[in-house]
Amino acid sequence: MKKLLSNLAPRESGVVESFTNDQVGSKLLTMGMRPGTCVEMVRFAPFRGGCYVKAGECCLALRTNEAACILLEA
Amino acid sequence: MIKNKTFTVAILGNPNSGKSTLFNQLTGLRQKVGNFPGVTVEKKDGKVTIANGLDVKLIDFPGTYSIYPTSKDERVVVEILCNPNHEDYPDAIIYVADITNLEKHLLLLTQLQDLGFPLIVVLSMSDIAVRDGLSLNLKALEEQFHVSPIQLNGRTGDNLALLKSAIEEIVKAIPTKAPEKMFYQPSEIEKQTIQRITNTIPVKNDYHALLLAHHHQWLKNLNPEEHFALNRITQDTGFEDLKLQIRETMQRYDRYTPLLARIVKAGKTNNHLTELADSILTNRFWGIVIFFLLLFFMFQAIFSWSSYPMDWIENSFGYISSVIKNNLPSGWLADLLTEGIIAGLGGVLVFIPQIAILFFLISLLEEVGYMSRAVFLFDQVMQRFGLNGRSIVALVSGGACAIPAIMSTRTISNWKERLITIMVTPLISCSARIPVYTVLIGFVVSPTPVLGIFTMQSLAIMGLYLLGVSSALIAALVFKFILKSDGQSFLLLELPEYRFPSLKNVLITVWEKIYTFITEAGKIIILISIVLWFLASYGIPSQMKAAEKEAIVTAEARTLNEIEKEDLIAAKRMEASFAGQIGKTIEPLIKPLGFDWKIGIALLTSFAAREVFVGTMATIYSIGSQEDEYSVRAKLANERDPVTGKPVYGLATSLSLLIFYVFAMQCMSTLAVVKKETNSWRWALIQFTYMTALAYLGSWFVYQLFS
Repeated sequence: MKKLLSNLAPRESGVVESFTNDQVGSKLLTMGMRPGTCVEMVRFAPFRGGCYVKAGECCLALRTNEAACILLEA
Repeated sequence: MIKNKTFTVAILGNPNSGKSTLFNQLTGLRQKVGNFPGVTVEKKDGKVTIANGLDVKLIDFPGTYSIYPTSKDERVVVEILCNPNHEDYPDAIIYVADITNLEKHLLLLTQLQDLGFPLIVVLSMSDIAVRDGLSLNLKALEEQFHVSPIQLNGRTGDNLALLKSAIEEIVKAIPTKAPEKMFYQPSEIEKQTIQRITNTIPVKNDYHALLLAHHHQWLKNLNPEEHFALNRITQDTGFEDLKLQIRETMQRYDRYTPLLARIVKAGKTNNHLTELADSILTNRFWGIVIFFLLLFFMFQAIFSWSSYPMDWIENSFGYISSVIKNNLPSGWLADLLTEGIIAGLGGVLVFIPQIAILFFLISLLEEVGYMSRAVFLFDQVMQRFGLNGRSIVALVSGGACAIPAIMSTRTISNWKERLITIMVTPLISCSARIPVYTVLIGFVVSPTPVLGIFTMQSLAIMGLYLLGVSSALIAALVFKFILKSDGQSFLLLELPEYRFPSLKNVLITVWEKIYTFITEAGKIIILISIVLWFLASYGIPSQMKAAEKEAIVTAEARTLNEIEKEDLIAAKRMEASFAGQIGKTIEPLIKPLGFDWKIGIALLTSFAAREVFVGTMATIYSIGSQEDEYSVRAKLANERDPVTGKPVYGLATSLSLLIFYVFAMQCMSTLAVVKKETNSWRWALIQFTYMTALAYLGSWFVYQLFS
């Protein structure tokens, strides 16, 4: 099932399939997240802020609109 | 082209790769901080002596993920690496890669290799690799990637000698280094583009040509013809920047990841401590609570720890000026030295304890890895006000002193967000406003106890702080709508594993901030102090003499003692001085705020630093010899309006003056730092203007309301 990273609940995970925004995608690529990387939603920030995700070996903080550019196979 | 400059080595790597630790290991205090030419991106360079006394220049470049920049800092890196004529263009590169996440770190490595730089690869975090049981086949890495990696533990500095001899080898081997085949295999379109660019513009190699095709729109070193040619070529070949960039990055990963499988045997990632810590520190509720506790502790530390060294500095300067006064013949030279230069120097140095403590704590939190968590927690709230998660650090530090606070905004990479943070931080009430609040609050509210623990006065002071914070946020919101944004704002932040801090890194940061403050802001502060001293001690000679005579006559008529007589003379002299003239000239302007010319002088001298208010009031009210808040307050309470006979410091005037001090930009040190951080007087002027306007309108409103 395809899902956006921003729609995952905490502790859910998926595998990156593609990026829907090239600008965000290109930046994520350079930070080590690419199609095939396993991503886990760890938790959300307070005040409806961004999210804390684990991508491979790396922990990242993303804004919700940034996470919404990542399409997962979950 | 012949280069007769020192051999230059750039240290490059991803953020959090341990790059700066390595730089500090190599250079120690033989480093200086400045900006890269023409931009406000911090550049650190230093010297390292390798064998036989040969000095090599090291430059610590900003942390970079790839040769396709997404922030101002990364752009500078690419700009330099794409311009062989740049003064900072490196002859070789030390590439720092995190051994525990080589897959990510090899991306930039292969890009730099394609650009044809001689590389030394340093593998950092070997301690974590050992902990996780990760094993590495160095030989395979060497063969596959044509590098000879050096494993280094940045904390202990093992193998540093090995690194130095590697640098030496590169210095010697430079002319024989032949360009290798490009790791990246370009597509047809890219090949055509590269071919045409190579025929038109002098380039170093194919990958350099390809990068010009990608980045020509913003590269500043290209001349108009080159820009034109590159535009033509990329249009002709149908060069799609972003698409090709993604293709390239993907291909690099796809090509080296299989190779890597033979090189690294992953262990078991063992970062339970980080996971556990983050489950509390980034928790929606506890994360916020702990953050504010940390802030409270920081605040407390800044106030309580710094008071001893600050007193000590003030006393030493007082002592030095009394020594000078006693040993030099009295006259303008002694006055210039004591009241102008030494007072100014003291005014600079007195801030150092606060700056040092603040940056010690902030860089400690940064080193441990906590700062990125705080950014994560507050990014959303700050964004609503046009700020960035990182702004919270500056806003809080502003409660101690705006100077280090503004200096700490360098960590904000989006220029607009950083600028707004700089512009609003001085609205947060700093410690220099406290003496002024203390003197005046007594005229506004009585010290009636409230709820047993507070008094009306402490609540009122708290109210002034809240007024400062809320006005800062509102001002930020206004700037958010006025200022144009440059580029998209990202969070996309790596949350590194928590680490034990390196004291060396922390101390070097503290030293750097102090040094920058003294050398950059200090010059301007001393200059303005001298001007203010001149204005307050000189006037038209005949008037000054007359004022002195009048004072002596009055003193004798009232049979004052020696000290009282001296104080009266000082008061009359100040009244007749240029500062006094200015005070009288601006009186009509500040009359609607309920201020007389005496307050006018204090406002003027307060510009040197707000706490000068108390001293100036003491001099004007001829109690210069008892310069403390309580005697000033007692004197002010007795001050009557010569016409109406009512107290001058009634509710309306006092409240108006308090509001003025909450809002007004009366700190030349801050302005000097703003000028330095924004690289122009423009923003300093805008800040001065808007804050003064706010202060004027606020005071006017309050005075009209209460009088």
